[in-house]
Amino acid sequence: MIDPALITNNLIDGVLMGLLYSLVALGLSLVFGLMDIINFAHGDFVMIAAYTTWVIAMMLYVDPSVTAIITVPLFFVIGLAIYKIIIEPILGAEPLIQIAVTVGLGYVLQNLALAYFRAGPRSFPAPWFNYSIQIGPIGIAVSKLIAAAVSLASLFIINYMLVNTKFGLAVRATSANREVAPLMGINVRKVFAITFGLGIALTALGAALYMMWGQTNPYLGQSFSLLSWVIVAMGGLGGVMGVLYSGLIVGVLEALGSTFVSPSARLAVVYLAFFFILWFRPRGLFGRR
Amino acid sequence: MTGSHAVFGQEAKDAAELVVDIINNELGGIKSLCGAKIQLVVQDSGETPDDARLAAERLISTEHPVIVIGAYISRNTAAVAEVTEREKVILVMDGLVDDLTKQGWQYVFRAAPKASAHGATAAKFVIEMAQQKGLTINSAVILNEDSIFGTYVGDGAKMELLRNGIHVAAHITYPYDITDFSSIINQIKSINPDIIISVPYFNDGVLFAKAVQQAGLHPMFIAGAGGCGYTDPDSIQAAGDAVLYYTNTYSYNFARPTQWNQKIVNEFKQRYGKIPTEAGGIIFYSMFTIYAALEKAGEMFPNDPLNPDNLKQAFLALDLTDDNSIAAQLYPSGHIKFGPDGDNLYAEATVAQVQEINGTLKPVIVWPDAEPGVQPIFPRPDWQGAD
Amino acid sequence: MEFSKAVRKDILAVIALVLAMAAIPFAIGFERYYLLILSTATVFAIYVVAWNIIGGYAGQLDLAAFVYSSLGGIVAARLMVYYGITPWIGMFAGAGVAAALAAIIGYPTFRFGIKEVWYALLTASLVVIVREIMHMPEFLGSLDYRLPWKYMGWYWLRFPTYEQLYWVLVAVLGATMLINVWISNSKIGYYLKAIREDELAAEALGVDVRKYKLIALVTYAAILGFAGYLHISLNGVYTYKNFDSAQSIAVAIMGIIGGLGSIAGAFTSAITLKIVGEYLRSSFGAVIPGLHLLIYGILLIVVGIFKPEGLASVIEWFKKKVGWGGEG
Repeated sequence: MIDPALITNNLIDGVLMGLLYSLVALGLSLVFGLMDIINFAHGDFVMIAAYTTWVIAMMLYVDPSVTAIITVPLFFVIGLAIYKIIIEPILGAEPLIQIAVTVGLGYVLQNLALAYFRAGPRSFPAPWFNYSIQIGPIGIAVSKLIAAAVSLASLFIINYMLVNTKFGLAVRATSANREVAPLMGINVRKVFAITFGLGIALTALGAALYMMWGQTNPYLGQSFSLLSWVIVAMGGLGGVMGVLYSGLIVGVLEALGSTFVSPSARLAVVYLAFFFILWFRPRGLFGRR
Repeated sequence: MTGSHAVFGQEAKDAAELVVDIINNELGGIKSLCGAKIQLVVQDSGETPDDARLAAERLISTEHPVIVIGAYISRNTAAVAEVTEREKVILVMDGLVDDLTKQGWQYVFRAAPKASAHGATAAKFVIEMAQQKGLTINSAVILNEDSIFGTYVGDGAKMELLRNGIHVAAHITYPYDITDFSSIINQIKSINPDIIISVPYFNDGVLFAKAVQQAGLHPMFIAGAGGCGYTDPDSIQAAGDAVLYYTNTYSYNFARPTQWNQKIVNEFKQRYGKIPTEAGGIIFYSMFTIYAALEKAGEMFPNDPLNPDNLKQAFLALDLTDDNSIAAQLYPSGHIKFGPDGDNLYAEATVAQVQEINGTLKPVIVWPDAEPGVQPIFPRPDWQGAD
Repeated sequence: MEFSKAVRKDILAVIALVLAMAAIPFAIGFERYYLLILSTATVFAIYVVAWNIIGGYAGQLDLAAFVYSSLGGIVAARLMVYYGITPWIGMFAGAGVAAALAAIIGYPTFRFGIKEVWYALLTASLVVIVREIMHMPEFLGSLDYRLPWKYMGWYWLRFPTYEQLYWVLVAVLGATMLINVWISNSKIGYYLKAIREDELAAEALGVDVRKYKLIALVTYAAILGFAGYLHISLNGVYTYKNFDSAQSIAVAIMGIIGGLGSIAGAFTSAITLKIVGEYLRSSFGAVIPGLHLLIYGILLIVVGIFKPEGLASVIEWFKKKVGWGGEG
């Protein structure tokens, strides 16, 4: 018999982690939905951002969450540069070529981190929010609560931006029809570049939040890459809300797998579910064109 | 080594370079071989057995070494051993997994304590401490990462606990690249054990300690088994006071007050800016054991010292103690003598604990013999007592 | 059987290549390190040429190569260790099991029209799922399994040196190439190429898309399942970690860099990348950790951006230059 308090606790953690996963996957979803770019190095940007966060946090000796003020704009610029150098040349290339190039980019990022930081764990030793709120048998980690709240807020802000701003309109118009968009006076290349930069900036925000309790090493990205893609696939092109729901599903599935099977099997549970969802809802759970 | 194991390879390489410099420059090479120098050739054993085997073949075909040391990871060691056995090259293993010496290989030696001994050491330590303080351990939880190493260590700890009649309430395994410990912490919380024995891989140790701190879990004691994750300098730097009072079991005792051990630790610190721990320590005494074996071979077989079968005889004839060797001075038990399967008959692991000394967090050796001026801290000061 | 002139030429080219490769050990004086590099590269060449059937002809980006090869190889190794069955039989059993898994996965996948990036993600997840299942204590658990020393010789397909296994690998590579030639020149290959070009159009013309995709997947899986034991025999050890995501992706990448649908390209790319990778590892691996993988990554980016048609285009150019026809 499994303790109901344990299940509740695990479900809460699943939901909180799920929101963070959504935030990280959102950038991938935007980029893929808009310009059909298949980026297999998405998780590695989380890893590089986590190192950057750690360096800044150690330098200023502030909580990693605060470093987002610096890393998010910085990674927006890095995203623009990566777009110019690597992504623009493979726009419209076969999916296989895009995958090869971005896997290569992932190798480069991982091994740069390995050569520079070596392989030991890096984590901020004096986090501000490393305590829990206890309500009876239920404990909620404050750092995760903050991370989840910031993630949720960011998802809504991006959603608002896509719906209500001129840039959002340009993004939606371009993703609906790339041929017609320029005729409406939209600079497609500019929209692409900004969106890619935004996607990378979101990984920096995700990394800053994750580093509130987590640690980074050169292989952190591998944990995020495939998971982000699973979220994008499940969400379909259901926009921000699709990503939000899919991230929550993944987080909860992880928690259930961990509780009822074993912590080792939790990924297998997520991916098995992904299999069946893809088989029976090939367009994703929340619609795809 | 690259990939997820790279962290161990780096320290091992640093340590090997230091030892070779000492043997060649300070000790004047191998005396019984007319002062022959040791030449160190390092190959990256890569991530997969494919790579490890290629590295072994390349070493052997281009450098013709008489002794190979490596390859830390169990399955890569197996791939390397097939090559060294065929070529009759001595392989000194720094991998700890138990069954590496049970394969019927003829030319392998291992000075370090094996994985299950690490688990048993962690368990013995907490049992003995509890007895000393008059505390009863009612239940324990074992937590290990699920590689072959973690499994052997976890099982070793479990056997030792069960032998002492301690109830093991749960044995949890998880993958080393875990990103969130909360479901495991929740489970441990609902069990509320007196003792947690945890076998981290490396990075996961930091994550676990922080999650324990965050959840406000206050058991009687949390003992780590295996060489890193809590008490090594990288982990202390990353986790801060989250790892205070945690222990690890080491194949090496960096605080052993022998003359040579002090010297090597100091030189390592000077050169690389940190104290040597598990991977480096194993290399220290393994290399000096090789040094002793080469000296011995020169004395026993002056005409053909490097013949593999003669070398093997020399290894088996070694009986190294603090008085007659450098290697034993670097070894926890101070005694190295190989049994017929190639394992050290006097293998021993030590326990290091993170303590706050003069305001900084430092790993100190607390068991079986605490280093001077240090006491093991048991139970954890934040333990709220038996309920 | 009657062969057209082009097919005859292809078959002759394969036979010539096999004979030339078989002669290499004599040319390099049975130097073991080089033989091992060659053997490892040949293992990957088999995987990549087999991958060409699903990836090149059928255009499905399969990222699960090591599921099929490791499953087949472990079946053969287990039959050998636990039941004393020779791998000459075990390898066929391994091929059968791998093909069966491919059919079980492939049928619903193609039935539900999973393709492109979704197919890639599905197969990438398959590697994780199978690895985690195998990692459970009921299957392989966390342990390492070694092929025992006593099983050596042709009966067990295990050798202390490499030339014998290398020759077997070359023969399997030749057979894999011939299967490619046959598929490419048969009705199946014709339909597969039609599917790759335009799936909807092919379907409209009455091509049974699902059936031909499934044939391609099962053939590929069977070849990998067959060759898997040879890979394990080369290292003498297997664990749940044999179900390796990174290496599965590497097979697909070698196939892409080779140029889709080109046997010569697949072969050249696997052999070259494996040998370059080994050169980088042995020269730089111990100097700066990860440098060889870094260079490998840069190579991938550069090739992907500047030569997206793959090595096949280079080979085509070379063929024109020397006036030598062949497969392609």
